[in-house]
Amino acid sequence: MKNGHDFLIITNNPLVERCLGEYYSVEMFEEASYRDILVKVRDLVYASHTLYTHPLSGSVKPNETPYKSVVVSKVPHTFDPGEAEIIAYCIEAFDKFKPRGITLTDPVKRDFQLIDYTLICGAVDFDAAAGLSKIK
Amino acid sequence: MSYRVVHYINQFFANIGGEEMAHVAPELREGFVGPGLAFNQSWKGEAEIVATVVCGDSHFAEHEKEAQEQILAWVKELNPDLFIAGPAFNAGRYGYACATIANAVKEQLGIKVLTGMYEENPGADLKDKILIVPTANSAAGMRKAAPAMAKLALKLMKGEKLGASCEDNYMPNGIRVNFFEKERGSKRAVKMLLNKLADKPFVTEYPMPSFDRVAPNPAVKDLSKATIALCTSGGIVPKGNPDHIESSSASHYGEYSIAGVEALCEATHETAHGGYDPVYANADANRVLPVDVMREFEREGKIGKLHDLFYTTVGNGTAVASAKKFAAEYAQKLLQAGVNAVIMTST
Amino acid sequence: MKLELGFIEIKDIQFSNECKVENGTLFVDAEAVKAFVYEDDDVKAYVKSACFDIAKPGESVRITPVKDVIEPRVKVEGPGGQFPGVIAKVDTVGSGRTHVLRGMAIVTAGKIVGFQEGIIDMSGPGAEYTPFSKLNNLVMVCEPVEGVHQHDYERAVRIAGLRAATFVGELGRNVTPDEVQSFETYGIKEGIEKFPTLPRVAYVHMLQSQGLLHDTYVYGVDAKRTLTTILYPTETMDGAIISGNCVSACDKNTTYHHQNNPVVADLFEQHGKTLNYVCNIITNENVYLADKQRSSDWSAKLCRLLDLDGVIVSQEGFGNPDTDLIMNTKKIEQMGVKTTIITDEYAGQDGKSQSLADADPLADAVVTGGNANEVIVLPPMEKVIGTLNYVDVIAGGHAGSLREDGSIEAELQVITGATNEMGFNRLSAR
Repeated sequence: MKNGHDFLIITNNPLVERCLGEYYSVEMFEEASYRDILVKVRDLVYASHTLYTHPLSGSVKPNETPYKSVVVSKVPHTFDPGEAEIIAYCIEAFDKFKPRGITLTDPVKRDFQLIDYTLICGAVDFDAAAGLSKIK
Repeated sequence: MSYRVVHYINQFFANIGGEEMAHVAPELREGFVGPGLAFNQSWKGEAEIVATVVCGDSHFAEHEKEAQEQILAWVKELNPDLFIAGPAFNAGRYGYACATIANAVKEQLGIKVLTGMYEENPGADLKDKILIVPTANSAAGMRKAAPAMAKLALKLMKGEKLGASCEDNYMPNGIRVNFFEKERGSKRAVKMLLNKLADKPFVTEYPMPSFDRVAPNPAVKDLSKATIALCTSGGIVPKGNPDHIESSSASHYGEYSIAGVEALCEATHETAHGGYDPVYANADANRVLPVDVMREFEREGKIGKLHDLFYTTVGNGTAVASAKKFAAEYAQKLLQAGVNAVIMTST
Repeated sequence: MKLELGFIEIKDIQFSNECKVENGTLFVDAEAVKAFVYEDDDVKAYVKSACFDIAKPGESVRITPVKDVIEPRVKVEGPGGQFPGVIAKVDTVGSGRTHVLRGMAIVTAGKIVGFQEGIIDMSGPGAEYTPFSKLNNLVMVCEPVEGVHQHDYERAVRIAGLRAATFVGELGRNVTPDEVQSFETYGIKEGIEKFPTLPRVAYVHMLQSQGLLHDTYVYGVDAKRTLTTILYPTETMDGAIISGNCVSACDKNTTYHHQNNPVVADLFEQHGKTLNYVCNIITNENVYLADKQRSSDWSAKLCRLLDLDGVIVSQEGFGNPDTDLIMNTKKIEQMGVKTTIITDEYAGQDGKSQSLADADPLADAVVTGGNANEVIVLPPMEKVIGTLNYVDVIAGGHAGSLREDGSIEAELQVITGATNEMGFNRLSAR
């Protein structure tokens, strides 16, 4: 079973902070890029935090969306080389996408936030729609 | 007007002689020599060999720098549309020479190059840098190899877009190129699976990146009694690089004493590495080879002893085969010296 | 279980004031389709408008942004109906007889989110890359009611497409098919007795299951809530699996891909000749790592339990699924069952990067659908069905992708189905 008490959500997505902050530990890095989030997660995995969700969740390409949320354990457990490998591959995969030079409009940003939010909700078994209806 | 080509061959294919004549120095001849005829015939006048460089395989191996300089000077002067070398089949030193000189011509003169050899020829290590046409493992394969190389050569000279490796017949070079297969993917998958099930040969369309994984040894039981050595591929050497370890594609490694050295410093050590910004490594070489921290551990009793010698080379483009050879050699020295564990740093 | 498919060739579609299939032409009254589509409460509540258009092979037409592509079919004999658990009741499908309107599709298009993806060109270089350029397409362009939640709207458009396909499929009920084929796999013991010497082969079918716009439904169940399980291949052929996946146009499996799964077709072609096609194993691609472990453990366990000799594994999507693909492959190989996998590649625009976000030496037999990052230029088309508004924003597009003359410079990613990971296409890479 999933233990929500041990979840720490590393994110740069304001919607995740707003909807999930009440229920889980959320560490919000407003200024962080998608890649910055991956690097923070990598450092935590290196420091023996468990990686709970796949860092490249979603088929939205990393140069397409600016938002990324990843769930790790709140406290260090045992270092897992398999998890370290996954996050390393993800950073490598990120780097092969060319920056696209696009300024996103607010509605598009909100859509990207929503996708990232629902992906992470699915992973932690949180009712995404219920979370949204509460903030509106 | 036809394209102008310079061809490189060894003493054997120039009909000078076999191993006993492998020492001959490079020589420039006008027109084609030996296998060059086959290229000319394939090109049917669209391209032509204007000059042939002949060089003994031993000579190239033993005087690489000088031979290369001489050949580059000739090629520069001739300024051909293409430099073609070999085919070398499974002749190891010939293949190495073909690939090395072709790469030098490409890098230093910006001239298009092509060579051909058997896939297991050591020269094929350079397949990510230059185009290499795969050939049979003996000169008996010349009848097939020459037209195959000639065809790709002409395409290069015409400046046509290069297709996928399997379409244009070169060794996969790490650059993925799309093309349309004859059958759809699912059908290819079923065929591949049937071959795999029947233990018949099959070729994967995407070879997984190869990992030379090394299973870790059991942990050192008591670090406080262990002798630990430092090794690096980060190129840390005594100031002045006394053994001239190359800044890239290193051909050897160095063994240096750090007996009594408390920490490396700018005055005594530097990096020979040409693949990263050396400023920080030169200012404080402990950043790459952490002698200072190891001494601290030694004093605190965390480790038994730091080994008196360290082993170093440059990892920048150095062939995996060479790196393996270096390590196999100094691992024996470490064993004999009673070293229990090694910290290997990279950059 | 035995399924008969009766193929009715559709060579043309025409708008008309009646609805019928006659001599290979579909005559369709758009208002009648629309009325049927709007009988659903979700569609009524969330879809402001649905407009129909027709796109035929060779025309100078660009359809974008594409959500789903669906083949119209109708169950004429045996249990169940089209899209069980979603449109029809949840009865098990895959037996009896189904009529297929072959050579055409329903395409749903229009904005779901602000970065809605997917281009189908009916002619020109782009048409070479998408299988849907060869079909006569009845396109339904939808628009949302203002202020609707994206997940409600996605569901409504998904249902709208399936309903349109159901309506059109129904028109083939009493038409005599041009060709009838039958497909049958056997029970475990029966299969071994029938083909005692043939290798036992299954298809490990990975389903996209990550969340909003990334979902697949099996008999109406969200795949991320499923455990790895077994289907008769004919169930898949009969509409048991539908797509709710709107992201990564080039390698998402549309409902059409599920209905016409090429791995299923090509395994059936060899069934009883060179192999014994045992079953499909469906498994998901969840975001939660423990789910991945469980699902891939179960894939491997089922392969062993079924005494398989070999499997083909196909994946769907980018990044996250690579990990599932490698986990499945590695564990199945470790069970002593041989694998061949189908994927596509993200090797960068220059083709030099590592293609997958995971790797293992046991994955030694790989079929690739090509490098999705390769750049392509799509010339302008005379007519656009949908809108070009999103081209700059979508994956594989960039600022300035859409040029003034209407041409598009973008990565292959933008084209619906271009690098399909079921091996639907001939595109490959080396």
